[in-house]
Amino acid sequence: MTLQRTVQVGGLALFLLLLAGAAFRFAGWLPQDLFLRLDPAAALLTGLSARIWIGGFFAALAVLMATVVLGRFFCGYLCPLGTTIDGIDACLHRSADIPEKCPPLWRRFKYGLLVFSLTAALLGLSLAFLVAPIPLVSRFFAIIVLPLFQQIADLLLQAAAPLANRFDLTGLFYLQLPLPRFEWQGLTLFLMLLILAGSLWQPRFWCRYLCPAGAMMALFARRPFLRRQVTEDCVDCGLCARACPARAIGDDPRFTLHHECIVCQTCRRICPTQAVAFSTRRMDKAPRLPAFSQYRRGLLTAGVCGVGTAALTLSGARHLLGDTGTRRIIPPNLIRPPGALPEDDFLRRCYRCGACLAACPTNTLQPLGMETGLTGLLTPVIAPQMGPCDPQCNACGQICPTEAIRPLPQRERIWAKVGTAIILRNKCLAWELDRKCLVCDEVCPYDAIVLKKLPEIKAPVPFVIENRCSGCGFCEHHCPVEAQPAIVVEPMEALRLTTGSYQEKGRSLGLTLEPRPPIRRSEAQPTPFPSTEDNAGSGLPPGFSE
Amino acid sequence: MPSSPGRPFALNPTSWPGTPMNRRSFIKHNARIILWASAIGFGIRLPRLAGASQTPDIALATGDRTAATRAAVDLLGGMGRFVKPGQKVIIKPNMSFAGGPEDATDTHPDVVRELVGLCKEAGAQRIRVLDHTLRREERCIEGVQKACEVHGDDIVQAVSRSRFFESTGIPDGRQMRETEVMGEVLEADVLIAAPVAKSHSSAGVSLSMKGMMGLIWNRGIMHSRFDLHESIVDLASLLKPDLIVVDGSRVLSTNGPGGPGHVLKRDTIIASRDMVAADAQAVAMFEWYGRKLKPRNVKHIRIAHERGLGRMDVENLRRQQIQV
Repeated sequence: MTLQRTVQVGGLALFLLLLAGAAFRFAGWLPQDLFLRLDPAAALLTGLSARIWIGGFFAALAVLMATVVLGRFFCGYLCPLGTTIDGIDACLHRSADIPEKCPPLWRRFKYGLLVFSLTAALLGLSLAFLVAPIPLVSRFFAIIVLPLFQQIADLLLQAAAPLANRFDLTGLFYLQLPLPRFEWQGLTLFLMLLILAGSLWQPRFWCRYLCPAGAMMALFARRPFLRRQVTEDCVDCGLCARACPARAIGDDPRFTLHHECIVCQTCRRICPTQAVAFSTRRMDKAPRLPAFSQYRRGLLTAGVCGVGTAALTLSGARHLLGDTGTRRIIPPNLIRPPGALPEDDFLRRCYRCGACLAACPTNTLQPLGMETGLTGLLTPVIAPQMGPCDPQCNACGQICPTEAIRPLPQRERIWAKVGTAIILRNKCLAWELDRKCLVCDEVCPYDAIVLKKLPEIKAPVPFVIENRCSGCGFCEHHCPVEAQPAIVVEPMEALRLTTGSYQEKGRSLGLTLEPRPPIRRSEAQPTPFPSTEDNAGSGLPPGFSE
Repeated sequence: MPSSPGRPFALNPTSWPGTPMNRRSFIKHNARIILWASAIGFGIRLPRLAGASQTPDIALATGDRTAATRAAVDLLGGMGRFVKPGQKVIIKPNMSFAGGPEDATDTHPDVVRELVGLCKEAGAQRIRVLDHTLRREERCIEGVQKACEVHGDDIVQAVSRSRFFESTGIPDGRQMRETEVMGEVLEADVLIAAPVAKSHSSAGVSLSMKGMMGLIWNRGIMHSRFDLHESIVDLASLLKPDLIVVDGSRVLSTNGPGGPGHVLKRDTIIASRDMVAADAQAVAMFEWYGRKLKPRNVKHIRIAHERGLGRMDVENLRRQQIQV
C-alpha cells in the first residue's frame, strides 16, 4: 500500500476512533474534536457568521498555512470525507482512468459555493453544516454509521449470550452496548448519498467540483513550495494525466494545476520514465495560470445568491436568528443542551457535526427538524422521552469544537438550567385518576417535585418547584403515562449565558439548582410530615395509609 | 454429642416393667438413661445446637454494618441454611440511585459485599448482584461493584435491556397477572433481597417487597395501570426471596426513595426468611417522617399479610437481637 493510502486509512481510523471514543467514553485523553477543528471552510463560515475567532480553529489555520508549503495534502491524505469518497470510487471504478465527463469549467462551482456560503455567513447565516466537508462526514458517521455498527454488535452479543452464560463469562453476558437512535437520519443519509453519488460520474466528484474547503485550500495552493515537477525525461505518453484522480494534469503532461493537485503522487509512481517528482527544486517552466478574475462574473452571481438565501431564510417566521424582537415562535421542544450559548450565537456557531449527539450517554440529544426553519435544522436538542439529561454529565460541552455548547466544570454544569418541567394535570395519574404514582418525585435528581395532599384528591399530587427544576427531563422520561407524558419539560426559563457563571446568575434569579439541598438536614432537625398546609388528608406521611 | 447404638428411641421391650429384668438389661437401661440425660444437658448448655424450632423469625443485629450483616444471618442459622454448595444465588440490593452511602438511597456496599462473601463461604457456584437501575447504570452500581471486587469481577450488574427479561405468569396475582422477570432470577436457586430501609413517597416504604420491582422490566405499569400496593403484593407472590436482609445502617426517613431526606443512623441489620415480617419490622422499629408508624399503615404490607404471604404482626413473632 502506498504512503498516501496508509495515511488515509490511518487518518480515517483515527477519526472514527475519536468519534467512537466520544460515544463509548474511552480514550478521553485524546483530543476528541481534533478532526472537527481542521476544516478551514467550517472554521471560516462559523467564525464569520458568529463574528468571533474561535480558538480551536488554529488547527484549521495551520492546515491552510501548511497548504502553502505542501499543497492540498489535506484533501489527499487527511480528509475523512476524501478518504470515504476514495473508498466509494474504488468500489465503483477499477481505475481513475476515466475521461472527464464534466467540462473543466465546472471546477469553478466550488469557488462559487464558497462565495455563496461566505456572503450568507456575512449576513449571519452559517451554512457550514450543508457545505463544509468535515461537519457533513462527521455527522454521517456519528448518527448513521456508528449506531449501525452498535446495532450489529448488539445482535452478535445476543447471539453469543447463551454461550457466555454457559461458560460463566458474566462480563460478556451482561455487556450492554449503548444503542443510540436518532431523528433525521434520512436527511443526513440523503445529503451524504448526494455527495457520494457524484462518484458515479467522476472519481472525487465532490472534491473536484463542489468542496468549499477544497476551494479555500486551492487559493493557498497556487504555487506550493513542494509541488509536482516534470523533467525533460517526459515522453508525453499522457499516462499521468489519465490516472490523476484530481484531473490536475493538462493535455501537456508538464502542465500542472497545482491548486487542483491533492499530492497523491499517483503520477510520480505511474510515470514510465521517472520524469515526475514532487520537490522544491524548480525544474520546469510551467505556464502561468489563468488569472483568477476570469471567474468574476460567476462569483458575483454566487454572492448574490448567498445574500438572497440568507435574506430569504432570515425572513422566515420561525427562525430565531438576529433581531427577532418580541415576534418569535419558540417551539416547545427547543430544549438546548446545558451550557448552550444564547440561541442567536448558538445557531451561528453550531455546524452540526453530530459529535455531541454521538457523545451523549443518554441519547437525549437529537437533531432538530424544521421547527425553527433552516437555521435550526439538525441542531441538537434535548428530547427527554429518549433519555434524561444527566446533571453530572457535560459530554456535549466537552466535545463541541465551536463551543456553541460551553464546556463547564461540574459545579457550573448542575446550574445550567435547560428548561422547566410542567405537569399536565389532565394526564397525571395522581391528579386525574387518584393513583399513587409519583414516579416524577422518585426520579427527580434536583428534588424539585413536592407532593401535597389536597382535600378533594385521594392520592398526594405532585407540584413542580420551578426554582429547583433544571429541566433535566428525568420526570418526563420516567413518567409512566404513555403517548404524552403527564409531565413535560419546556424551554421556559432556560439559562443561556455567553460568559460568566451559571451559578451566580442562577442564584441572582432565585434558583436553587443543587442536586442536594445546600444544608444537609441533620438528625437534630427532623422535618416531620405533614406540614400544616398539607394536613388536610389522613395526616400520615406520603404513601402511608390508615 | 454421644451417640447410642441402634435406635435410641426404641426402648427395649424386655425392659418394660413387669417383664423380668436381668442384670444385663438393667445396666443397658440405666446406661441409656445416663446417656440421654447427659445429651440433653449438653444441649441446654449449647442452645444453638438445640434445633430449628429455636431459630428466630426475625434477627436483629446492631453495630458495625459488616459484622452485623454476618451476625444477623448467623442468628437465622447461618448462610448455609439458605445457600447449598453449587447453587446459583441472586442478590438484589437497592442500586437505583447514584448517591453516596450518606444519602441512604441505596444498600450500603459493605452489606452487599458481606452477603456475597457469606454466599461464597456457603459454597455458591455463581453469585450475581443484579438491579434494573433507575439512573445511569455505570454510576449506580459503581460503589457496590467496587466493594464486591474482592470476591471476583463481574458479580455486580445493572441490567437495562429487555432481552435479559422473560415473560412470566403470576399465578397468585390479583391485578398484575404477568410480568417480565430477569431470566437469571427465574433460573436461580436462591434469591436474597437486600434492600436499604427507606421511605417512599407513593409506596410508604421501599423495602424487600417494593424492591422486587428492580427485577422486572415494566415497572411503570404498576403505577399506571394497577394499584401500586396491590401489584407490589402480586409481584411478591411471584418473587419470594429465600432470605431478606434489610440494611438499616442508615434509614432514609423522609423524602424517599430518591432523597435527599432526613437520614437516621440506626446501625441495624434485620434478617428474616419472611419478607412481610422483615418489612414490617423495619416499619415498626424506625421513625418515618419523625413519627412511629405501624406496619399496617403500609398498604402493601397489610395486603400481603392478609393474603398470607407472611406475617406483619411482628410482636407475635420470635425476635432475637444481638449486639456486635
